[in-house]
Amino acid sequence: MHPRLTVAAAVAALACSATTGAAAQDTIRVGVPMELSGKFVSYGAPGKRGTEMAAEAFNYKVAGKKLELLFRDVQSDAQTTVSVINELVSQAKVNYMIGPIGSPIVAAAIPAWQQGKPIWLVPGSSSTKLEEVAGAEPMFFHTYPYAYHYHTSEAAALKHYLGPGKRVAVIYSDDSYGRTHLPYVQKYYKEAGYNIVAEELVRTNASDLNPVLTKIRVSRPDILIGLVQTTDAITLAKQIHTRRLDVPYLVGTAYTQLDEWRNAVGEAQEGWLGVTTYLPGAQRAANPDYPHIFPSLTEWEEKFRKRFNAEPDFLDIGTYATAAMLFLAIDRAGVDDREKVAAELRKIDLQTVFGRGNFKPTEGGTKQQAFTDMVVFQNQGGKNVVLYPLADATGKLQPLKR
Amino acid sequence: MELAPQMLVDAILLGGVYTLMVIGLALSFGITRVINFAHGEAIMFGAYGAFWLLTVWGIDPLLSLPLLLAGGFVAGFLVYETAVKRVLHAPHINQILLTFGLGLIFQNVALILWTGDERSANPNWAFDAFEFNMVVVPYGRLIGFLVAVMLVAALFAWLRWTELGRASRALAEHNEAAQLVGINVSLTYGIAFGISVALGVAMGVLVSFLGAINPFMGFHMLVKGFAILILGGLGNIMGAVFGAFILAFVETSVGYYVPNGIGWAEGMAFAILFAILVLRPRGLLGQEVEG
Repeated sequence: MHPRLTVAAAVAALACSATTGAAAQDTIRVGVPMELSGKFVSYGAPGKRGTEMAAEAFNYKVAGKKLELLFRDVQSDAQTTVSVINELVSQAKVNYMIGPIGSPIVAAAIPAWQQGKPIWLVPGSSSTKLEEVAGAEPMFFHTYPYAYHYHTSEAAALKHYLGPGKRVAVIYSDDSYGRTHLPYVQKYYKEAGYNIVAEELVRTNASDLNPVLTKIRVSRPDILIGLVQTTDAITLAKQIHTRRLDVPYLVGTAYTQLDEWRNAVGEAQEGWLGVTTYLPGAQRAANPDYPHIFPSLTEWEEKFRKRFNAEPDFLDIGTYATAAMLFLAIDRAGVDDREKVAAELRKIDLQTVFGRGNFKPTEGGTKQQAFTDMVVFQNQGGKNVVLYPLADATGKLQPLKR
Repeated sequence: MELAPQMLVDAILLGGVYTLMVIGLALSFGITRVINFAHGEAIMFGAYGAFWLLTVWGIDPLLSLPLLLAGGFVAGFLVYETAVKRVLHAPHINQILLTFGLGLIFQNVALILWTGDERSANPNWAFDAFEFNMVVVPYGRLIGFLVAVMLVAALFAWLRWTELGRASRALAEHNEAAQLVGINVSLTYGIAFGISVALGVAMGVLVSFLGAINPFMGFHMLVKGFAILILGGLGNIMGAVFGAFILAFVETSVGYYVPNGIGWAEGMAFAILFAILVLRPRGLLGQEVEG
C-alpha cells in the first residue's frame, strides 16, 4: 500500500475508534437476552415488555447517559443462548444483563455468562440448580422465587386449612422442572405432616396421562400435586377433569395463574391451587420517593394496558421491577462500573410495584435474592381467590366436587 | 388385574388416534416416495384451525372438520404443485431438506400469527365421560377414535374402489408401468399428497380438544409418527395401522404396569424404532427395497 494511503487509513481507523469510544462512553448498554421465539416465547415476550417499560420510565437515560437496551433472541434454544450470551459478554462487553427467563435457558446461559461475569439479573427460573451454580456469585441477582418458595407456601396453606395427616400424590415431569421440584414437595409436605402415597413420573409432551391417573385413583389421595410445565399442565388438567378423578384438592405451581393455561383448560381449571408473585388488581401504594418509576399498582397496570394493549402478567411486572431496580442502581452509582452498580443494587431497599425490592441471601445459598413472597390462590368459579398468606386472603379453601 | 379393562380401553382409543397421526404420512411416502417432514405442521395447522373456528365463530371442531379437511387438501395439493413436485426425482436428502425447511417456515408463520401461547379447544362434550364397570371412557377420546376409524376406512375405500385410488396404488406398486397404461402421474401424486395433508389436518382437529396446541407441537408427533411407520413398514398403509396399535398397546401397558411407566412409555417408540431398524429394517409389514 502507498505510504500516504496507509497513514490515511490509520488516521481514519483511529477517528472511527475514537468516535465509537466516545459514543460508548455516552451510552450505558444493557444486554437483554430473552426467549423472543420458540417454546418459551410466553416467558421472553413479557420479559422484553417489562424491560422496555422500565427503560421508558427512565426516559432511556441513567446516570446522565443514554440507556441502550441490546435485545437478543435466544430462540428458547440452549445452543443459541450460549452464542447470544457469548456475543453480549465477550464482544459487546456489556456490564449488565437481564434475562433470559425459562429454567433450561437460564441454565444454558450460565457458562457463557461466567466468561465475563457482568451483573446478571435473572427475573425467572425457579430451578435450584441455578442457585447451586451461580447463587454465590457476587454479580448474580435473582428476582424470582426458587422451587422451595413455591412449596413452603403451598404446604403451609394446605396445612392451615386441612390440618396434617392427608394423603398426597405427586405427578412430576422427567425434565429438570419436575425433578427439581420433587425433593422440595417431599420435604415440605412431610414436614407439614402429610403422607406421600404416590409419585408418578411423566415424560414431557406425553399425550396420554391416563395410565398415571388410573394408578393415582387407586392410591386414593386427598391432594394431587402436578409438577409439570405449562404444555403438560394443560394435558394433565384436561385429562384429570374428563377422567373425573376424585381428588378433592389439585395443586399446581406457577402455571395455574397463567391466562394461557386457564384459557386452554377451560372449566377444568376449577379448584386448582397455585402460587404467584402477582395477582392483578391487588392494592399497592406508590413509592413516595419514586412515584414516576414505582407508581401505585393500579396506575402501573393502567399504564401497561395503554402501552401494550394487554393485561400484565407476573413476568411483565417482575421484569419491570427488576430492570427498574438495575437502572436505579446505575443512576445512583453515577458511573458505568459494574462493581459500583452491584454495590448500589445490594443497598437498594424500596417499595416497588412488585413488592418490597431488596436483595437478601436465601436458605439455599443465593447471596442476592429479591421478591420471594408468594401468594397461594385457588380457582373458584372462574376467579382466583387468595388463600394464603392469611392477611391477604379473600376466601377459604374449597374441595373439588365431581 | 384390576387395571386391565381400563388399560385395554385406553390402548384402543390411543391406537385409533395414532393411526390417524401416521396414515397420511404413510400415504404420501407410499405413493410419492417423498418423506414429508412438514406433516407435523399440517397437524399443527389443523389444530389451530379447529381452535380458531371454535373461538371466533363458535363452530364445534366436529363441524369444522369437513371444512378443514377440504382446506388441508387444497393446501397440500398447492404445496405439492409449487414445491414438492420439483424434488420428486431428487435424492432423498433434498426432499428431506425441502420438507423440513417448509416445516420450519410453517412453525414460524404460526408463531408470528398466533404467538407461542399454549391453547386448546374446549367444546362442552370434550369434558364429559361415561363409566362402565369402573372403566372410564372420555367422550373426547372416544369421538377422536371414531373419527379416526371413519377417516381411515374412507381412505381404504378410496384406495380400493375409486379410479384415482386404484391409480395411486398402481403408482405405488410400479411407477413406470402405471405411466405406460396412461395414469396421470403428476395429478395422482398431487391428489395423494393433498389427501395426506388433509389427514394430518384432521389429526390436528382431534388434538385441538385432546391436548395442547402450540406452533411446535407437530415435530414431537412427527418423530413418534416415523417410529410407527418404520415399525409397520415405511409406505405400507396397513403396516401403519398395525404399528400405531402396537405402539399404543406397548405404551399404555408400560404406563400401567411398570413403575414410573408413563415416563418410560413415551420412550418405547424409540426403543421399538431401534429394535426394528436392527432386527427387521423393512418393518413388520414392509417390503424389501433394493438400492
